[in-house]
Amino acid sequence: MFGYVVRRIAATIPVMALVALFVFSLLYIAPGDPAAVIAGDQATPADVERIRLSLGLDRPFLIRFGEWFWHILHGDLGTSIFTNLPVTAMIAQRIEPTLSLMAITLVFAVLIAVPAGVLASWKAGSFVDRAIMGFAVVGFSMPVFVVGYLLAYCFALQLAWLPVQGYTPLSAGVRPWFENLILPAVALGCVYIALIARTTRAAMLEVLQQDYIRAARAKGMGEAAILFIHALKNASVPVATVIGIGVALLIGGAVVTESVFAIPGLGRLTVDAILRRDYPVIQGVVLLFSCIYVLLNLVIDLLYTVLDPRIRY
Amino acid sequence: MDRRTFLKTAAGAAVTGSLSTPALSAGAATRALRFVPQANLANFDPIWGTQYVVRNAAALVWDTLYGVDATLNPQRQMVEAEEQSEDGLIWTFRLRPELRFHDGEPVLAKDVVASLTRWSARDPMGLMIKALQNELTTVDDRTFRWVLKKPYPKLLFALGKNNSPCTFVMPERIATTDPFKQISEYVGSGPMRFARNEWVPGAKAVFEKFADYVPRQEPASWLAGGKQMLVDRIEWIVMPDPATAAAALQNGEIDWWENPITDLVPVLRQNRNIEVDIADPLGNIGSFRMNHLFPPFNDVRARRAILMAMSQEDYMRALVGDEGALWRPLPGYFTPGTPLYNEEGGEILKGPRDLEAAKRLLGESGYSGAPVTCLVAQDQPITKAFGDVTADLLKRLGMNVDFKAIDWGTVGARRAQKSPPGQGGWQMFHTWHAGADCINPAPYTALRANGNAAWFGWPDSPQLEAEIASWFVAKSLAEEQAAMRRINKAALDFVVYAPTGFFLLYQAWRKNVSGIVKGPLPFFWGVAKSA
Repeated sequence: MFGYVVRRIAATIPVMALVALFVFSLLYIAPGDPAAVIAGDQATPADVERIRLSLGLDRPFLIRFGEWFWHILHGDLGTSIFTNLPVTAMIAQRIEPTLSLMAITLVFAVLIAVPAGVLASWKAGSFVDRAIMGFAVVGFSMPVFVVGYLLAYCFALQLAWLPVQGYTPLSAGVRPWFENLILPAVALGCVYIALIARTTRAAMLEVLQQDYIRAARAKGMGEAAILFIHALKNASVPVATVIGIGVALLIGGAVVTESVFAIPGLGRLTVDAILRRDYPVIQGVVLLFSCIYVLLNLVIDLLYTVLDPRIRY
Repeated sequence: MDRRTFLKTAAGAAVTGSLSTPALSAGAATRALRFVPQANLANFDPIWGTQYVVRNAAALVWDTLYGVDATLNPQRQMVEAEEQSEDGLIWTFRLRPELRFHDGEPVLAKDVVASLTRWSARDPMGLMIKALQNELTTVDDRTFRWVLKKPYPKLLFALGKNNSPCTFVMPERIATTDPFKQISEYVGSGPMRFARNEWVPGAKAVFEKFADYVPRQEPASWLAGGKQMLVDRIEWIVMPDPATAAAALQNGEIDWWENPITDLVPVLRQNRNIEVDIADPLGNIGSFRMNHLFPPFNDVRARRAILMAMSQEDYMRALVGDEGALWRPLPGYFTPGTPLYNEEGGEILKGPRDLEAAKRLLGESGYSGAPVTCLVAQDQPITKAFGDVTADLLKRLGMNVDFKAIDWGTVGARRAQKSPPGQGGWQMFHTWHAGADCINPAPYTALRANGNAAWFGWPDSPQLEAEIASWFVAKSLAEEQAAMRRINKAALDFVVYAPTGFFLLYQAWRKNVSGIVKGPLPFFWGVAKSA
C-alpha cells in the first residue's frame, strides 16, 4: 500500500508538468493582451506597447515558460500582472471561502443524496422512487445560477432569513460563516445531489438483487440494517467514485456560485483573471485545481480498499 | 468527568463561543458606507493603470493640485495660490501649509514635482506640457515653478481635470517610479487612507478616514472645495452579478450602487427604501470606431455612408429600452449641456435616414462585398447592444459582415493590430467615451486624427489636427467656442468615428444615505449615512 501511494504521488509530478505546459501554451496562443486592459480604454497604442514591454510580454515563449517553470519548481507561482501581489498570497486570500463552500456542499449533498438514493432503490418503481428521481432530473437540469437566484429571492429577499451575498470568515464566528454559505451550498449542491442519488440508486439496485441480501432478509434482519449496513457498504465503491469525480463539478460550479452570491473565492479569482488575461494568476489557480483533483482521486482510490477489502494495490 | 462528557462539554463550549456574532454598534454601522463600484479595483496605481475605477478610488486617497467643479472650471485644491508671468511662460505655485501624507510627512514641493513628472509622461495634456516645458523645479518646500517655452492657457484645467490620469500627488519616493511600472506603496495625500491589509482584489477594498487631512473651507463641488468625510470607513464591495447587487441593495446589505443596469431599475424603484437617479450628467458617447487604414473605411465616402444610414435612436433604444430620459441624439462629438457643445456640420446625422443614398455612396467608395470584420465584445452590455444594431445596419447596407463575438480583453488586444483584417486586423469595433472626456479636445484621445499616433483606427486629418491646435491656444470662451465649431465640423466631414448617441446611466442608493451628487465619478465627501 505504502509503495502504491508513493508511486501514485510520484506519478502526479509528470501529470502536473504536462498541465503546466498545457496551460501556459494555451494562454500563450489565446487572444487578448493584459497591457491593453491595464492601460485603459483611452490609452494610445503607444502606451499599450510600452506597458507590454515593461511586463516582458514581448519575450519569446520558451524564455517565458522556462522562467515560469523554474519559479514553480521553487514554489513561486509568480506575481499578478495587475495587483502586483504574489499569486500564492492571492490564492491564500481566496482559498478559505472556496474550501468552505465545497466542504459544506459536499456534506450537505452526501447527507441528502445517499439516503435518497437508498430510499429510491428500496422503493424502486414506487411513487417515492419516481419523486426522488424526478427531483434528481430537475436538480441536474437547472443551471446553478437559476437555483441561486430563486433561493436568494425566497430566503433572503422575501423571508429575510439569510443574507443575499457575501462571505464571513470562520474566524468571525460559526453562525455568520454558516449563514452566508447555506444558500450557495444548496444552489451548488443540487446538481451534486442529483448525481450522487442516481448513482446510489443504481448501485443499490444491483446489490439488492444479490443472494446474501436475500439471505439476510430470510434470517429476519431488519430492513434498515440490510440497506445501510450490508447493501450500502457494498454499493459504496461507485458512489465514492462519483463523489470524487463530482468534485470537478463543484469546482466548475463554484465559479458561477461565487459570482451569483458575491463570495470572494478562487472561482471568481479565476474568472476575473481570465477576463483580464492575468496569466500568472490563471496558471497558478489552474495548477492548484489540477493538484487538488489529482490528489482527491488518489484519496478515492485508497478509500476503495477500506470500502471493499477485496481491492488490493 | 468521563471522556465522552468532557468531549461534549468542550465541543459545546467551542460552538457557543464561536456562535457569538460580532455585531457592529448602530454608531459604527452608520459610519461605514458599503459601496458597489462599477468594476473591480484590480490595481491601485492611477498613473500606471488609467481605468476609471482606479481613478475613482484614487480620488479618495490622493489629492490633486486643482479640481474641476460642477461648472467644469478648475479650482485650487492643494494649491494655496498661483502666479503667472505676463508672457504666460512662468507659472509659480504655492502649496497650502497644512498638507500631510498618510504617513504623517508633510507634502512638499519636491513631492509635487515628482508626481507631475510621472503624470506628464502618461497623460495626453501632460505630454503636451512636457513638450513645451523648459523646467519644472522646486523653489522652496512649499513652492514650485513651471517654466514653459510657449504659453499653455489650459494648464490649470490640466492640473484639475477629472479625466484619467489625474494629477494625484504622491510622496517623491513613490512618484519617481517608472510611469510604465506599477507602484507598490499607497501613501496618499487625500481624505481617506487605503487599508491595504484589507484589500482583496476582485472582491473588496477598504478606505479609512485620514484624521490629519485638512479640507478646504469652500463647499465641495465635484473635485473642488472642502472634501469633508462624514463616514469613517468606506467599503468597496465588488459584485460581478447585477442581480445580486440589486438584491443586496434591497436587503440593506449595501448602501450605494454606482451603476445599476437599466433592466433592474424598475425593480429598485418599487422599493420605498431606495433612491434611483442619474449618476453622471455628463453621460457617455457611444462610438462606432472604424479602421482608417483599410478598405472600405479608408475612404471617407464609406465612413460617411455609415453616418447617413445609422439611426442613433436604434442604438440608444437597444441600450436603454424605453427610458427616453436616458438618451438623446448626438449630431456631433461633444458632451451635450457643456459650454463648448455644438452641432456644427451635424446635418448628416439629423432627420430621416436615407439608406439608398448611403448605399450609393458606399458603392462610389469602391466597396464590392468584401468581408467587414466587426469586433463586438459580448461581455460588455453596451458594446453587445451596439454590435447587434451594427450587424443589422451593415447587412441592410449590403455589406458582408464578419461578426466577431469576442470578449473585451480580446477586443483590447485585437484593435491594436495594424495588420489587414484578414490577417488578424479589423475594420470596426464599438466602445463608448465618458462625457467628461468629451467636453473639449484636451482629454479627448478618440477625437485626435494624428495618424500613427492617434487612437485605434489611426485617423489622419491634418485639417482636424490644426483645428484642435487652435482650441488649445484660444484665449477666451468665444474663441474656444468658435474653434470647437470648426472642430466638430471637420471631425464630422472626415468622420473620425461615428457617434451612436449620447446616453446616461443610473446610480441607486438606500434612502438613509444622503449627500450623493451627480458627477463624472462617485464623490464620497459630503455623503452621510443615518441608522
